Amino acid sequence: MPDLPPDPYLLPPPGDWFASDAAHHLLDKPKFCPSCAASLDRGLISEWWSGHDRIFLTWCASCRWTGNVVLFDKAIIEEPEH
Amino acid sequence: MLTVEQNEELTQVGPGTPMGELLRRYWYPIAFEQDFDKRPSKTVRLLGENWTLYKTPSGTYGIIGEACPHRRASLTYGIVHEDGIRCGYHGWKYDFDGQCVEQPAENDNSTFKDKIKAKAGQAQTMGGMVWVYVGPTPVPELPRFDVYVLDGIRDVGVATLPCNWLQIMENSVDPHHVEWLHGAYFEFLGQTQGFEAPKSFQKKHIKVAFDEFEYGIIKRRVLEGHGEENDDWAIGHPLVFPYGMRVGGQWIDQMQIRVPIDDTHTWKLFYTLHHPEGGTWEPQERPVVYDFEIYDEEGNFVTDYIEGQDAMAWVSQGEITDRTQEHLGRSDQGVALLRKMFKEAMSSVEDGEDPPGVVREKHDVIDLPCEKDKFGAGTAFTDQWINGGSMRYSPIREELLKLHRDAAAAREKADSGA
Repeated sequence: MPDLPPDPYLLPPPGDWFASDAAHHLLDKPKFCPSCAASLDRGLISEWWSGHDRIFLTWCASCRWTGNVVLFDKAIIEEPEH
Repeated sequence: MLTVEQNEELTQVGPGTPMGELLRRYWYPIAFEQDFDKRPSKTVRLLGENWTLYKTPSGTYGIIGEACPHRRASLTYGIVHEDGIRCGYHGWKYDFDGQCVEQPAENDNSTFKDKIKAKAGQAQTMGGMVWVYVGPTPVPELPRFDVYVLDGIRDVGVATLPCNWLQIMENSVDPHHVEWLHGAYFEFLGQTQGFEAPKSFQKKHIKVAFDEFEYGIIKRRVLEGHGEENDDWAIGHPLVFPYGMRVGGQWIDQMQIRVPIDDTHTWKLFYTLHHPEGGTWEPQERPVVYDFEIYDEEGNFVTDYIEGQDAMAWVSQGEITDRTQEHLGRSDQGVALLRKMFKEAMSSVEDGEDPPGVVREKHDVIDLPCEKDKFGAGTAFTDQWINGGSMRYSPIREELLKLHRDAAAAREKADSGA
């Protein structure tokens, strides 16, 4: 695992069951707004999962852009019935 | 999943915190009118601070920081005047704005009192409750939501829950929990303990949606066997930002209120209005207030009713749920949306703007959208809700059941042309 960002970021205690997920959240969450490129330090990023995809609902405090940033292994297209 | 910092920012409600500053832009119910029948003052705790709420002889309410600025004694044990309250310890008197106006032992220095101003807010009554505002001026209007002002019979279930208010609010944008916690789990309890669980909560969710609107977020659902024309989707019901949820069905209309007492305690109220079409009732002077049970004698959660199940889910997460350890899924997008809304609102306050749901215009009533035909259950819903929810603890439960049954019979008779 790469080095974690420096303080003031905090992590749950290493013994916590999902400390690894929390560490990866800290490492992988978007750092800059996809719309205006401002730092997301003042924004809000909630991570959720869909299958193997990791999805970051992202809100930028600078331009107030809201959207999902998706980390995925492979692109999957669900075909509707036809 | 959030970072530690984001979780703290979203859950800390004290003065000077971003969420605390946001939450101080709203009015809160903090007591009932009957609380002042025997004593003119009481201590209330709101947003991490203790306050003295008092009622003057002519019926005006005031709220002031509990600790007297002189020697920090409690103003709750003070002397209530028509124009303010006086500390019982040394007689310092404060007006409704918290300004010290008298210091009996300091008469030789008349300017001292001018520099003493206690923290104070505004208070007024609505729907049998005393509401307070402890934020900055200009003071917004007290929103007169429909359930508080429409005619009907009211009962209010109350409990203080040992958890942060936000984890209760997140439940309001989590439609899927209904079919499991109040459906499958309730059915499991019924089968193992020998009672019949209500069926209308067991229907499977096919589709859910969340729409932001001026007072919060409207939640919609399509249940198995239903379509978009049904009330649950076409109308839905709202999370009322930042601490309420409006629910209802079959002329039982309810505001679920979550008052943030402090970071780890929430005053939870089920404020319910019963006003069935076709029904008749005598005017009610004050709401009936009752306690609903959270724990049994052995300290276990009481989960054989709907709101007890909810309380278990909220409180068992811990005082402040650790969102660095959670794993949200696709069905939790409403939760992520709500957090975004809070963060956006905090930013609005920092920018000097009003956050969502702050009302500045005078008004008589604010009607909130709320489905009438809940879960497609028809009139059976009233019995299921009253008997299977917190209202089972209401001292007027039997009267409520009769009110709704009689009204349903009257409607049926009218529809049949008899």
